[in-house]
Amino acid sequence: MNSNVTNARAEQAEIDASAKWPVLVFLGSALLWLLLGGALQLAAAIQLHTPSFLADCAWFTHGRLAPAAQNALVYGWGMNAAFAFGLWLMARLSATTLRHGGWLFVAAKFWNLGVTLGVGGILAGYSTSFELLEMPRFVTLILLVAYAIIGVWVVTTFSIRNTENVYASQWYLFGAAFWFPWLYTIAQVMLFRAPVRGVLQPVVNAWYVHGLYGLWFAPVALAAIYYFLPKLLGKPISNYYLAPLGFWWLVASTAIAGGSRLIGAPVPVWIPTLGIVGSMMLVLPLVILSLNFLGTLSGRYGSVGGSLTLRFIVLSIAGFLLSSVLGLALSLRSFAAVAQFTLLTGLRDWLLFYGCFSTAMFGAAYFFLPRLTGKEWRSTALVQAHFGATVLGLVLMTIGLAAAGWQQGHLLNDPAVKFAEITRALAGWHTFNSVVLGVLLVGHVAFLINFVWIACPFNSQGTPVAQINPPPALSLAAKEGHA
Amino acid sequence: MSPKLDNNFKVEQSAASDDSIQQVHARLQSQKPEKKDGYSLTPLVLLGVMCSAVFFGSIYMAHNAVRFDPLVVNEHAKREKPGAAGAVALTRAQLGKKIFLSTCATCHQANGLGVPGQYPPLAGSEWAQGPEERVIRIVLQGLNGPITVNGTDFNNVMAPLGAVLKDEQIANVLSYVRAELGNKAPEVQPETVAKVRAEVADHAGYWTAPDLLKIGQ
Repeated sequence: MNSNVTNARAEQAEIDASAKWPVLVFLGSALLWLLLGGALQLAAAIQLHTPSFLADCAWFTHGRLAPAAQNALVYGWGMNAAFAFGLWLMARLSATTLRHGGWLFVAAKFWNLGVTLGVGGILAGYSTSFELLEMPRFVTLILLVAYAIIGVWVVTTFSIRNTENVYASQWYLFGAAFWFPWLYTIAQVMLFRAPVRGVLQPVVNAWYVHGLYGLWFAPVALAAIYYFLPKLLGKPISNYYLAPLGFWWLVASTAIAGGSRLIGAPVPVWIPTLGIVGSMMLVLPLVILSLNFLGTLSGRYGSVGGSLTLRFIVLSIAGFLLSSVLGLALSLRSFAAVAQFTLLTGLRDWLLFYGCFSTAMFGAAYFFLPRLTGKEWRSTALVQAHFGATVLGLVLMTIGLAAAGWQQGHLLNDPAVKFAEITRALAGWHTFNSVVLGVLLVGHVAFLINFVWIACPFNSQGTPVAQINPPPALSLAAKEGHA
Repeated sequence: MSPKLDNNFKVEQSAASDDSIQQVHARLQSQKPEKKDGYSLTPLVLLGVMCSAVFFGSIYMAHNAVRFDPLVVNEHAKREKPGAAGAVALTRAQLGKKIFLSTCATCHQANGLGVPGQYPPLAGSEWAQGPEERVIRIVLQGLNGPITVNGTDFNNVMAPLGAVLKDEQIANVLSYVRAELGNKAPEVQPETVAKVRAEVADHAGYWTAPDLLKIGQ
């Protein structure tokens, strides 16, 4: 038994060592983009209540700043972080080392080159008019080639696995590896290479945006949640036999739910109708995922506080549930009559991207970085600052965007209110949201400092070596709660 | 069993190894949680959720997709099928247009202006808009010899069409000529045509302008 544990430990150390540099490069670039994107987002938010801010410089007008911030966060932070986490977890669960990591460096270089050119292109005024596809056309090929390498690595690592069994996290990672290129190429071809005409363009765009959040970022976050709950609680996922059903139902419904973004838009009415049905179908995976996650957590909430990763994972679960419930509400025509085309639709996407996905990545990073580098986090204060800022930011931003969006929706529906008056009425909320973005940015800076301490090889004096104990085996008995 | 998770945030210790997670869950995937008494409620409730999602989703689609019509952008659009609104009644003038174009327009032209010196005009013609007994007779049995239309003299032959066209067709085409082409005269009924056809049964040969002028004074 003891030798088995040691063997497993040695194997894991080997896997972590093979994954170290590719993951650090991806996560390091991700964090730089997180700060840059956050700064751009803050500047764009300030312009909403102080229009004169940076208004004299063409590169920083709101129409360029807002999409540049969103693209930097989604493609810079989100994708890089997903690559880092996905590659590491896939290698871990496939019990195989990450081979030929040099290619992943090349991929990371090209991906970040593409995002740099893309965000720069948007700021320089070469953006397109499609949400999350604003990057200039020439960037597409760079991103796709870079992604191809990364995607092939994830899939190959899975196919040379040394394990008999496949775990839920692997389904989601494996699926996401195929769904992103599928969504991205179809959107690129149908919008730029051989553009469809007229109202079909927003339809394709809505399908892409919904898919990117629902079939790329959500699955990566779910993979993290499925992995870390048993990993840190020492307790199997409850009602796990339902997980495959939840997986397939989630995928099939999300793929057709994109039309619900177009309620009230002048497109053929069957498209939003199909989207509404797709969104409503998501009730089932929502119930199953709640049973899985909350069931596993039940009775163990006391131990969540002691684990940093679990704290972030619980935030991520909350973000996922909130975003899903808001998505259900937004697909009701009567609710959408007020909430459509307001800040509330932005809140839904933000809750999924930040509340669910980003917090899961933070939690994962706090777990795997000490294992990859063999060092401890140097400053507990900075860790706590990061977690505190994230919780505070999430709660305040949810309140702020929800209240502002609801007020905005009612004002927009009142024909007697002039548009300028709505802008003035929301200025207070926009100020509030800028402050919250600032709070989040402080947390990200705290995380980056800790990251530099733990990851930078030249600055390792004073960072203690991590003592990682060999993990015990998970037992079925733990589920019933008796030792 | 439950490990103490006081990690002090320096480094996270895990409570289960990767391979044991996979093994345990592979076993869990194939076996439902054991119930000592009765049956498990969860799968039944989920089956209910699945069925009602599909059922109500289909009903909702049927009610709000509006036949998947690409041109309908509002779910409150009329939901009847295109044929369900019933046939729209056409006037005699509308029905007669096709007959006019296939039969009359060869000589009198599609615009009804005729050919100067050859075929008299119908547009603005005092004959076309005159008493219906006269024009019915012309169509039934033809016209031969000199005639003055709109102040211009013509001398030609028009073939009799009484054997080719039915009463209703004659009524329709005459209604078209009298209501369209810039003309304004009441439409002709098939009963009138039938009455005239009976009256002229003993009349042989073509009509001439002077003979017609004696009728319907």
